[in-house]
Amino acid sequence: MKILVPISQVPDTTAKISFINNDTTFNNAGVTFIINPYDEWYALVRALELKEAGKAEKVTVIHVGPTENEPTIRKALAIGADDAVRIDGDGDSSFVAGQIADYAQKNDYSLILLGKETISYNSAATAGLVAGFLDWNFVPYATKLDVNGNTISLEQEMDGGVNQLSSPLPLVVSAAKGMALQRIPNMRGIMAARTKPLQVVTPSTDFPVYTKVESYTPAKGRTACVMISEDNIDELVDLLHTKAKVI
Amino acid sequence: MAATKTKSIKGGEFLIKETAAADIFIPEQWNDEQLMLKKTCEDFLNQEVYPYLDRIDSLEEGLMSSIVEKAGGLGILAMNVPEEYGGLDLDFVTGMLTSEVMGAGHSAAVAIMAHTGIGTLPILYYGNEEQKKKYIPKLASGEWKGSYCLTEPNAGSDANSGKTKATLSADGKHYILNGQKMWITNAGFADVYTVFAKIDDDKKLSAFIVERGYEGLVLNTEEKKMGIKGSSTRQIFFNDCKVPVENLLSERENGFKIALNILNIGRIKLGGAAIGAAKAIIQHSIKYANEREQFGRAISKYGAIRYKLAEQAIKTYASESALYRASQNIDDAVNSLVEGGLEFAEAKLKGIEQFAVECAILKVHGSETLDYVADEGVQIYGGMGYSAEAPMERSYRDARINRIFEGTNEINRLLIVDLILKRAMKGELDLMGPAQAVAQELTSVPDFGGLGNNNLFDYEKEQIKKLKKAILLVAGAAVQKLMQTLTKEEEIVMNIADMAIEVYVAESTLLRVEKVVDTFGEQAAGEKIDIARVYLSEATDNIWKSGKDALNSFVDGDELRMMLMGLKRYTKQEPLNIKEARQRIALKLINENKYDF
Amino acid sequence: MSVLVYIEPHKGNIKKTSLEAVSYANKLAELISSNVTALAINISDEGLKAIANAGADKILSVNNESLSATNIKALAEVVNSAIKEENATTIIFAADGTGSSVAPYVAAKQKAGIIAGTIDFPIIDGNKLIVQKNVFSGKATALYSVDTAIKIITLTPNSIQISNTKRSPNVISFAPTFDAANGVVLKSFKIDEDIAKGGIPLADAELVVSGGRGLKGPENWGIVEDLAHALGAATACSRPVADADWRPHHEHVGQTGLAIRPNLYIAIGISGAIQHLAGVNGSKTIVVINNDPEAPFFKNADYGILGDAFKVVPKLTEAIKKLRI
Repeated sequence: MKILVPISQVPDTTAKISFINNDTTFNNAGVTFIINPYDEWYALVRALELKEAGKAEKVTVIHVGPTENEPTIRKALAIGADDAVRIDGDGDSSFVAGQIADYAQKNDYSLILLGKETISYNSAATAGLVAGFLDWNFVPYATKLDVNGNTISLEQEMDGGVNQLSSPLPLVVSAAKGMALQRIPNMRGIMAARTKPLQVVTPSTDFPVYTKVESYTPAKGRTACVMISEDNIDELVDLLHTKAKVI
Repeated sequence: MAATKTKSIKGGEFLIKETAAADIFIPEQWNDEQLMLKKTCEDFLNQEVYPYLDRIDSLEEGLMSSIVEKAGGLGILAMNVPEEYGGLDLDFVTGMLTSEVMGAGHSAAVAIMAHTGIGTLPILYYGNEEQKKKYIPKLASGEWKGSYCLTEPNAGSDANSGKTKATLSADGKHYILNGQKMWITNAGFADVYTVFAKIDDDKKLSAFIVERGYEGLVLNTEEKKMGIKGSSTRQIFFNDCKVPVENLLSERENGFKIALNILNIGRIKLGGAAIGAAKAIIQHSIKYANEREQFGRAISKYGAIRYKLAEQAIKTYASESALYRASQNIDDAVNSLVEGGLEFAEAKLKGIEQFAVECAILKVHGSETLDYVADEGVQIYGGMGYSAEAPMERSYRDARINRIFEGTNEINRLLIVDLILKRAMKGELDLMGPAQAVAQELTSVPDFGGLGNNNLFDYEKEQIKKLKKAILLVAGAAVQKLMQTLTKEEEIVMNIADMAIEVYVAESTLLRVEKVVDTFGEQAAGEKIDIARVYLSEATDNIWKSGKDALNSFVDGDELRMMLMGLKRYTKQEPLNIKEARQRIALKLINENKYDF
Repeated sequence: MSVLVYIEPHKGNIKKTSLEAVSYANKLAELISSNVTALAINISDEGLKAIANAGADKILSVNNESLSATNIKALAEVVNSAIKEENATTIIFAADGTGSSVAPYVAAKQKAGIIAGTIDFPIIDGNKLIVQKNVFSGKATALYSVDTAIKIITLTPNSIQISNTKRSPNVISFAPTFDAANGVVLKSFKIDEDIAKGGIPLADAELVVSGGRGLKGPENWGIVEDLAHALGAATACSRPVADADWRPHHEHVGQTGLAIRPNLYIAIGISGAIQHLAGVNGSKTIVVINNDPEAPFFKNADYGILGDAFKVVPKLTEAIKKLRI
C-alpha cells in the first residue's frame, strides 16, 4: 500500500495577518511559512509510523503550489517522507483537491491521509473533495488509524463519544488531533532530504477554479474589557444575564 | 553545505589588514537546509526543555540525561562528528548555528555543550582508532554522556598545576589515578570522563579516558550554584582508580596541549551559545515591554526602555557578526589544511588554533554581551524581573557563569594580547612595521584631505582604519616602553585587549552590514545600517578611553601629550544622532514584536 | 430551481445547527425568489415539525436505517439524488457533524463551487453569490464569490438566529438508491464518560468553561467542573494542559485543537496566547479570570476578573447557582 499525504503551506501560527492591494491579497512580507500543522503533525507522522511498522511501502507527500513553496516540501522530506510531488499550479480547494485526486489515481495510491483543515482558510473541504473526485470512501476527523491487511480501522470523535470505524481501501482520511504526535525533524533526515526525489508535475486541466476571494477584512478586536472586582462576582453574573444575555 | 569561500586572512591579522565585505560569511545568507537544522534545535528547546525548566533546575533524577539522549536522537550531538563515527560531519559554521540556538537552553544548554565539546572532542581529535570507534558513536548518539575533568581545587586558571597523579600498576596493565577534580560539568550522569593527570613526576599533564564503572571513581554531591542549577556539577575523587593503559589519550605529557586546544573550540562555541541566550532574552524583553503598561501606555513607548532594547539588539547583532566571520575563517582554514594533505583531526585543531585570538575575543565579547542583555532584561521587567515566576531571574543567574568558565574573561584578555605578541615575535604577524608607520605618522602633519564620500560606508571604513592605528599606537608604545614587563602590567594588557576586541567586533559588524547592503540593497538592510554606526561610535569612544588609560600609565611629558593627541585624532568622530538611530532600531523590534535582525 | 438544505441523521433527533441551516436557506431563497427543500435523513416527526418551523417549503424525508452517519459516500449519493430531483442550484449544509464532510464530497460530484464555513447571509450579485467566512483561524474574514451553476455553502454553527416561519410544507417520502456495500462501517460507539453523566459535547456547547496552566495541576479541575455543572456548560482546556495530559486531547481548544464559537467562554488561568485565541475568538462573550494583570487574554475579553482562580471560581459557581434557582 502506498500512502499519499497532501500538504498545504500556511503562515506560522504566530504570524501577523495583514493584507495588501486594497485588502485583496495576503501580505506575506516577513511571514514565516510552515506545513499546515494538521497535515504535518498528524497525517504525515501517522503515515510514517505506518511505514516504520511495515504496514505501508511508501509515503509520498504532494503539494499543489508554486516553486517558492519547495522549502516547505523539503521539510516534509526531512521529517521522513520518501519522495515528494509538486503540482505546479495554484487555485481554490476544488482545484487543489482535483489535482491530488488525479495524481493519486494515476499513480496507484490507495490511502490518502491529510489534515482535517488548514489553519489558513479553515475550510475543511479538501479531503471531502478529493474523496468525491475519486468516488472513494471517506473518513473525516479521524483521531486514530491503523492498517490490518486491506482493512483500515479508525476512530473518530463525534457527538460526545468515539466512533470505531472500519473501511476497505481505497480510502481518504482527514486527520485530527490525537492521531500522532508532532515529530521534530531529525538532523540526519534534514541532510537526507536534499537527495530525495521531488517531482514537478504540470496540473491537469480537468479541474477549474470555482471560487475567488474578493476581499479580506482583518478581525476587529473586542472593545475594552470590563474589569470586575473579585469581591463583586454578582455584578458579573448580572451582566452576563441581563446585558450579554448569554446565561 | 553551500559556504561562501572567503579569502584567507590569518588569525590576528585583522589588526593590520583590511577585509572585503564580500569575503565574510553573514547569517543573512543561511540556506534552507541550515534554517531547517536551526528550526530543529528551536523545536527541541520548545518541546523538551522549556516546559521542564523548574524540574531541570531541581536536578530531577534522570531528567537531564534523558534530555541529552533526546538531543542525540535528533542528531544534535553529532553535528561536528565525522560520518564514519556516526556523525553528520557538518561544517564549523553550521555547527555554530546549532550551538547558538541551543545556547538558549539554560542548564540543558550547558549539559549539551559540555557533552559535545569538552566531553567528546578530546577523544575525537586525539584518540587512536580503537578509542574513537569505541566511544565516539555512542557519544554522538547520546547513549553515553561525556564529561571533562581538568580543574582541581587548587588548579583553576593555572590548570597545569594540577595534583592528580597517575602511576603505572605493577603488572603494567593499568594506570592508577589518585586525586581530586572540581567543577566537573555533567559529572552526575556522565559515562565517559576525559581526566587530566600527571604521570609520576611529569611536568606536564597527560589525559586519560575514564569510564564511570571503573573502580575507585567516586562522585561527591551536587554543588550548590548561583545559576545553571540544573547542570550537574560535582567534585570527583579518584581513589586508586584503575584505568586500563590503552585508555591513555594521545601521548604521555600531551594532556596540557589537548586541554588548551579543546578550550579554543570551547571558547568560540561559548561565544555562539551566549548569542543564542541573548536573543532569547531580547525576545522576552520586547514582548514584555509591549505588553506591560504604565501611565496608560506600553512601556515600549518610553525612550528609556527603547534605549535598552536597542542596545541589547546592537550588542548582540555585533557579536553575532564577529562570531560567524570567525567561524567561516576557521572553516576555510581547515579546508585548505585538508587540501594541503592534513588529516581531519589535525586540520581541525590547526585551523582553530590559527584563530585562537578570535576565539578568545568571541568568548569575552559574547559572554559580556549576554550579561549586559540579561541585566537590562531584568531591568525592563522591573519588579517582575526580580521574580522567580518570570523568565528573567533564571536568565540573569544562568548568564553569569559564562564570564567564568572556559577560561575567565580576564585570562582570555591576557591570552588575546599574549597570542598577538607571540605571533608578532615569531614573525607570523607583522605588527612592528605598521606600528612604526603609525609612530611616524604622529610626528608628521595630519592629512586633512576630506573623504570621497562616494559610497555608503566610506566614512565608517576610514574610521575602522584609524581605530586600528589607535591600537597599534598604544600597543606599539607599550611593547617598546615596557618590553618584557608588559605581560605583568595586567591593567595595560586588559586595555589593549579591550581595544582589539572592540575593533574586531566593530569591523565585523560593518562588514556584515556592508555585505547585506551589497546583496539585498540598502532598503532591506534598514536599521542594520544604524546598528553598524551606533556600534562603531560606541567602540570608538571605548577605544579612546582604553587607549588613554593605558598611555597615561606608562608614558609621560611631551611624549604623552603627543601620543594622546594622536590617539584623539584616530578616535575623532563626525556627529551622529545616536538617540534617533537607537529609536529606529528599537521601533523595528517593537513593531515586529520580535528580534529579527 | 430550489435551495436544498441537508439535514443530517442524528439518532432521529434534529440538531440546532441543522435548523440554523434551514433558516439560512430560507433567507437565501427569499433573496433569489426560490423555495426551500429540506432533505431530512432519518429524522423523527417532531424533528420534521421543527424543520417546517425554521422555514422549509418542502421536505424530502428519507428513512433508511442502513444510511449511517459514518458513511459519507452514501450520504453524498442521497444528496446528489435530491439535487437532481429538486433541480437544486444551491445546497446548504451545517458546517458540523457530517455536513462539513458530505458537502465537499457532493461538490466534487456536481462540479460545484464550495464555500465552507460562512458566518453570515450571502450577497446576491446576478448569478454570483458573495459569501463571508472566517479565515486565518478567525484572525480575518474574507468575502468569497462563487458563480458555478450549482453552489454549495456550509454554515458555521451559532452564526445566525433560527427563524420562526411556521410553514406547513409537504413532506414527501424519498427513497433514493445508494450503494452501501464496501462502505465505512461503524463498529461501535463509545460515549465519553463525562457526556454519559450528562456532560455536554464541547463542539455543540453554547456555554464553555475552560482551564489553563494557571490551575497548576489536574487535581485542581474540580472548580472548573463545578462551575460547568452549575452553568450547564462543557469543559475545555488550553494546549499546554492537554499536552501535559492533565485533560483529554478532545478538550483542547485553539488553533491546532478544536475551534469553538459558544455564546459564553469562560477562560480560567489561560494567558491567551495567539494560538489559543484563534480557537475561541468567535465566542459571543468572553470572560477571563486570571491573576496576571499582563495576561494578553484581558485585551481580548469582554469581562475580566483579576484575581486568584481558586477564590474567584467557587464564588462565581455559587452566584450562578443562586441565579439558576
